[in-house]
Amino acid sequence: MDRELRRLHELLDGGLSPEEERDILEKVDSDELLRREFDSLVGAILTLETCERLPADASFTAEVMKRLPVRQKLLRRRIADFFIGERVLRWNVAAAATTAIVILFASILLLHTHWKDPSVAQNASSKEAVEKVTITFHAPQAKTVALAGDFNKWSVEEGAMKRRPDGSWTIELPLKPGIYNYMFVVDGEGWVPDPRAESYRDDGFGRKNAVLRVNRI
Amino acid sequence: MIMQEEEYSIIERCREGDSELYAVLVERYGNMIYNAAYRMVGDPETAKDMAQESFIAAYSALREFRNGSKFSTWLYSIVMNKCKDHLRLRKATVSLDDVAETTACRGQTPEAALCAKQTANSLQAALDTLPGEYREVLVLKHMEGLDYKEMETVLGVSANTLKVRTHRARELLRKYLVEREYRNG
Repeated sequence: MDRELRRLHELLDGGLSPEEERDILEKVDSDELLRREFDSLVGAILTLETCERLPADASFTAEVMKRLPVRQKLLRRRIADFFIGERVLRWNVAAAATTAIVILFASILLLHTHWKDPSVAQNASSKEAVEKVTITFHAPQAKTVALAGDFNKWSVEEGAMKRRPDGSWTIELPLKPGIYNYMFVVDGEGWVPDPRAESYRDDGFGRKNAVLRVNRI
Repeated sequence: MIMQEEEYSIIERCREGDSELYAVLVERYGNMIYNAAYRMVGDPETAKDMAQESFIAAYSALREFRNGSKFSTWLYSIVMNKCKDHLRLRKATVSLDDVAETTACRGQTPEAALCAKQTANSLQAALDTLPGEYREVLVLKHMEGLDYKEMETVLGVSANTLKVRTHRARELLRKYLVEREYRNG
């Protein structure tokens, strides 16, 4: 590669001083062959830089996740999950009926106590306030992101999030105090948990939902 | 910076066994790694395999990932190595005759869309004629937008060597495209 040609490449990499830039550009102007080489070089780089980018398959993430090797959870993680992890309640009719009867008796007993003590009844009548909760998710390459959870019956349409200029997506939800499960749906296909969730809960299908707690004000 | 801290937190949770969170990283970098792989191997199906295997390899080696590095850079280095291994095995080169004419395409007409597709195909055919080490610098520098410092981290080669390599690769690509244009009149 001769000296001028090397200089052209350095010019395109932004590695020349202003004087060197002026010098090589003057040569490009005065030398027909060098000018043609410069033009074709710029053309080749433009072809590279403006080339269309292809989207990966919609199932790309799901396929990777299926093929991940199984990793045993660390002991401290298992201990933490045992004490503070969320659990799925499995039930049958007999257990549910027994529980219902116990709750019914307990409720009658409680109502009876409240009836006798008017101050307790007055406190209980206060309504639970609805709180506005903002959820954000960073996904600069996504075309759409939706929030689906048990607060909107897992509806992707109802949970459409708004894109911010910094590539994050946001949504504001009016929620009553309670515990909610949710996931983000990226480009209508990829279901991903919230990396910032305070905890996660098995969804019963081998994946984990993010868990949101809304506390009383 | 916030995104990087979030990624470190996700990686830490994955190391502890919360593998579900890895989906966030795959979703975030899937297109990027797939495109880099496609430009290296020139075939969508092989590119998908290379990209997916790179994510799986990265997950298996998460303990080796050092906080302070960029996860994307680490992924690039994995996918580039996988693609180069694949190219070494394949050792196939495409004849210059397969490189179609590259022309500038403008506008939104169906003709322009077809022209853009032809340009993409001819560029890919031209890339396929280049040796792997030239191809990777063009992909990283001009298609993925990395600077020489980042490329140094990805490829484990000094920035000065990479500059020379990039100049030579660009020169080869330029010659191929000019020759093709000349042949097609």
